[in-house]
This record gives sequence, C-alpha cells and structure tokens, in this order.
Amino acid sequence: MITGTVTSVYGKDINTDDIIPAPYLQLSTERAFFAENAFIKYDPEFKERCKQSTINIVVAKENFGCGSSREQAVYAIKENGVACVIAESYPDIFYRNSLSNGLVLITVEDASGFEMGDEIQVDLDSSTIQNVTKGESTYFEMKTEDRNTFQQGGMIGRVRSHLEEILQQAEK
Amino acid sequence: MGQTMAEKIVSRQAGREVYANDKLERLPITKLFFNDVIGPPAIKGFQEDFTDVFEKCGKPPQVFDPKRIFFTPDHSVPTFAIPIAEGIDSMSEFSAKHGIRMYKEGDGIEHVVLIEDGHIVPWDIVLGTDSHTDTNGALGTLAFGVGTTDALYAMATGHLYDFVVPESIKFELTGTLPKGVYSKDIILHIIGRMGAGGCSKRVAEFAGPGLGSLTMDARTTICNMAVEMSARTGIMAYDDVLADFLKGRAQWPVDPIDSDPDADYADVLQIDLSALEPTVAFPHKPANTTPISRVQDMIERSQREPTPDFCTVQDDTITNAFLGSCTNARYEDLVAGAAIMRGHKVHPDVNLIVIPSSRKVYERAMDEGILQVFVKAGANIESSNCGPCFGSHMGVMSGKGKMISSSNRNYQGRMGSPDARIFLASPATVIASAIEGRLADPRKYLD
Repeated sequence: MITGTVTSVYGKDINTDDIIPAPYLQLSTERAFFAENAFIKYDPEFKERCKQSTINIVVAKENFGCGSSREQAVYAIKENGVACVIAESYPDIFYRNSLSNGLVLITVEDASGFEMGDEIQVDLDSSTIQNVTKGESTYFEMKTEDRNTFQQGGMIGRVRSHLEEILQQAEK
Repeated sequence: MGQTMAEKIVSRQAGREVYANDKLERLPITKLFFNDVIGPPAIKGFQEDFTDVFEKCGKPPQVFDPKRIFFTPDHSVPTFAIPIAEGIDSMSEFSAKHGIRMYKEGDGIEHVVLIEDGHIVPWDIVLGTDSHTDTNGALGTLAFGVGTTDALYAMATGHLYDFVVPESIKFELTGTLPKGVYSKDIILHIIGRMGAGGCSKRVAEFAGPGLGSLTMDARTTICNMAVEMSARTGIMAYDDVLADFLKGRAQWPVDPIDSDPDADYADVLQIDLSALEPTVAFPHKPANTTPISRVQDMIERSQREPTPDFCTVQDDTITNAFLGSCTNARYEDLVAGAAIMRGHKVHPDVNLIVIPSSRKVYERAMDEGILQVFVKAGANIESSNCGPCFGSHMGVMSGKGKMISSSNRNYQGRMGSPDARIFLASPATVIASAIEGRLADPRKYLD
C-alpha cells in the first residue's frame, strides 16, 4: 500500500527533457544529483513541493515521460520522495525505466479527478486508488508481472540469477 | 497466420513462433551500444550489480559478447566539463579491458557510424542507450532505445527482460516526392497526423512502393523520428536499396526480411508522397506540423490559441539554424543543403551551424567541396557530434533565440533557454531559412 499526497499535477506530453534537462545528465552518476535538479526549467518548485510531504504522488495526463531514454528522469522523480505516478498513459521507454527502478506507474483512463493536496492510497494488490480527500475510489489495470516487478523494486534479482545460470552453463 | 517483421525477428531470436502481445520473460538481443551519456553510469551499475555474482562463480567480470557491443562518445564531445571527460575515461578503460570497440570522439553519432560501418544488419535486435536507436530499424532490424538499467543488464547477460511483442502500424507510402520535398517532410507529416502519442506501444512499419524511391540516408531519417509519435520503434523491409547499401559493408551475414502479406496490423495508413510539401514543426512539439505554405496561418493560430506545448510565435523570423544530428546530417543531407546554399550567403542575423554526422561524412563533404560551400556562405562547421540538438553545447540559445533545425526534437528548453523557439524542418528548408532569416520554402532555390 502506498499512502501519499498529490504534490504535482501536470498536463499531457511531459517529456524527459522537462524532467531533467540534458546539460545535467553527465555531470554526475549520483542519483541525488538528479533529484536536486528535477524539473529545474519546467517546474522549479517541484523539489520544494516534494519536501512538504513524506510520500509524494505525481499526477499527469497522457504520454508522461515521452522523449529521450535518459533513466536519470526516473531518478529525478523517485529520489524526491515520489512513490508513484498516476497518469493516463506512458511511452514504453519511460515505463520500462520506471519498472527497473521501482517507481510505480499507475495508468488511469481519466486523471482529471486528482488535484493538488489530495491524500491518496494506492493498493497494488487490489488495483485500486482510494482518494481519501474526495472519498472516491478508482480501479486501475496493471499486468501481473509488472505488479510483481514494481513490488520487488525492479528485476535485478531475476537478472542476477540468470547471469549465474549463464556462467554456470559456460562452465559445463 | 502471417507475421509482421517485428514478430518474425522476435520469433527467430526466441526460438519459437510469437505474435503481438505474447510475453517473453527473456529476449536475446544481438547488438548493444552505449553513448557517453549512459555509458558511464551503466559501467558503474554493471560493477555494482554483478561483481559478486562473477566472484561467486569464480569468473572474472565479463560482458556477454564484446563483438556485439559498441561504445560511441557522441553527445558531449569534444568534452566541455571534467565529469564528462572522466565518464569517457571510464568508457575507454572498460572497453579496453573487455575488448569492446570504442569509437573516438568526433568519429560520429551512434545511429550513423554503426550503420555506416556495417555493424547493423537485418534481423538484428538492437538496443541502444538513446531513444533515437529506432533509426537502425531502416535496416530491417528491431531496434529499441533503452535506459541505463535495461542496457547494463543486457551487457551482462545479452537479454532484455519482460518483453511484450509489440503490435505494428503500417504506413504505406505511395507515389514519389516532388522536387524540394524530402524524407524529413514525410515523417514530419506523419507525426503531425498521428500526434505525439499516436503510435504509442506500436512499431511503425514503413512500407509500400514509395519507399523504393528513397535511399538509405533518406530512410534512416524516417525511422529516426518514429519515437516522436511515441512508436516503440520504426522498421523497414529488406529490398534492393538496402541490399546495395550492405554490399561490401556488412560485417555480419545478411538475410532478407519482410512482413508477410497476411500479417495482422493494428492500423494501416496511406501516405501519398506526391501530395506532400516542405513541412515545418512549430515549437514546442514535433507533432505541431504545417506545410510551409500555411506558416502564416499557423503563426496566427499560435497567437490566437497558444497552449503549453504550442506556444505563441510572433513572426516567421529566425536567428539560428542547425544542419546536423542523427536525423539529418548524412551525406545526402549536406548535398541537399549545399544545393540551396550555393551562390547565397547566410543572413546577417542568423547563426548557421553545420555538423556532419560522422567523420566519414565530414571527409567526403570536404573532398567534394560541400563544406566549402557552407564555409564561404558564413556557416560554422563543427566536428561530428550531436551538437545543439542535445542542448548542452555548440549553440545553446538565449531566450531570444529562434532556431530552425534539421534535428528531431523542439521541446521547450531543448536547446537552451525555455523562452527560445525551435522549428524543425528538412536540411533544404533549414538552409533556405538561414539565407532569408525567416522560415522559407526551399523549392524556389531549385528551379
């Protein structure tokens, strides 16, 4: 169960240049650095808003995270204490990058019901979002394997086992 | 049941027949490349995530197959900051240790040099740490842009995990392009029609008799921008044009590929090339397209009903022009630009930057006097790299900047200040506009 506050509400087609501009990408390999510079041109108050709440939820319309494949965009969001994004759709690369890092992406048909300050509970097991502030409940669809990967915080465990399997087979 | 190319390629690698929406826990890949943006953190991740696994198995750390991995420092070269130089150092050390081919700074852009050097062949499953990896689909490959994690996992095991076979949308090209209209105009037109998210989760397959008239340079431009309508990737079949291109170049066995006639598509669209005009994308989205003849209407619309990603444009003047990037800086792009430039000067108010996409393109353009045309006209020529398209050097704009670019993205702030305006167009339109200091139709220079 993820319990948090909506601290950012965006429109459609938010791209990864908006989330973390190119000039910052190669200045560090520390995730905290990208959190520090998240939305620095597009929404300079993002970081401050995230500090107001322990667990943050980002809401957006369609195609959230489009554009460049930079995974730094996921670090920028997640390392600001964002546990989950609720949006109407995501392009594939951003979706995969979020899966890899355990940033939970929820897809809803219409995100317009979520507003700044709403207290939200997301239950991955029952696929429901409870908007505590508004007293509304929304069902969402998520593939079982994605749910498992989000809950495990990525697929690293499985990849390590696979590598071990490959190395042992090479031995034989 | 017939298969699309995407379904065929995945089937071959997976060793079983698969169709759209089938799931694979592990998909073997065949080529993998890293640029200087993602290479350094991927190397760090590889060491952090797997060193103990190698130790446990009593093996030295090793990549899955060094012959199939390439390092291409291209985004921020020549380097302009110490951490970037340190990142490239880490790529040099890692590639030397593991026997990976690493290109030199200035050799060119990842999506150009690997194709040029014959490393990409039909049936490949290509992963690259850049969203424009889709460019490689023009060679009958399934090519995906991936993030750091997918790439470093693939570097260790040669696999992509939890893969869902994508559906395809077919774009059937018919007719031939009129004079002054180029493949960039085709793909801008298509993106405008589909919207920024219009091809989401689908592979964009470009097919039809119209494709036969397009060279490989032209085709790669089209596949390059499939991601701008959120396509999973772009793809094109093997034909005589590709066969000729690969002859004497391919470093790997070449096997023809095409979709089956009875393959299942999510949608099929017809594009009549003969009806197209030079096309311009307005800021701040590649999907904001207009035929050049309707630019004034588009400007008025932007003033009447601006939105965050379709901003107000005051007039058609420009201050910057860029002929470069993985989209449009191959040999033929420079030839097309030079044909317009010859006998003219860059407008006094415009800074024109020309960046050939690879060292080989650079040398050929130099040998054939093409670079001289640009230099004599007042352009700035830079060594091969991503240039201002990446927005971190070589032409970063102030808030007063109004750029027309042959690259692929015109997001707000992409090339500097969030107040700058970026228009996208073909190399010919870029050069015509650089001459006139305003958005200009290249066709009148070709009569």
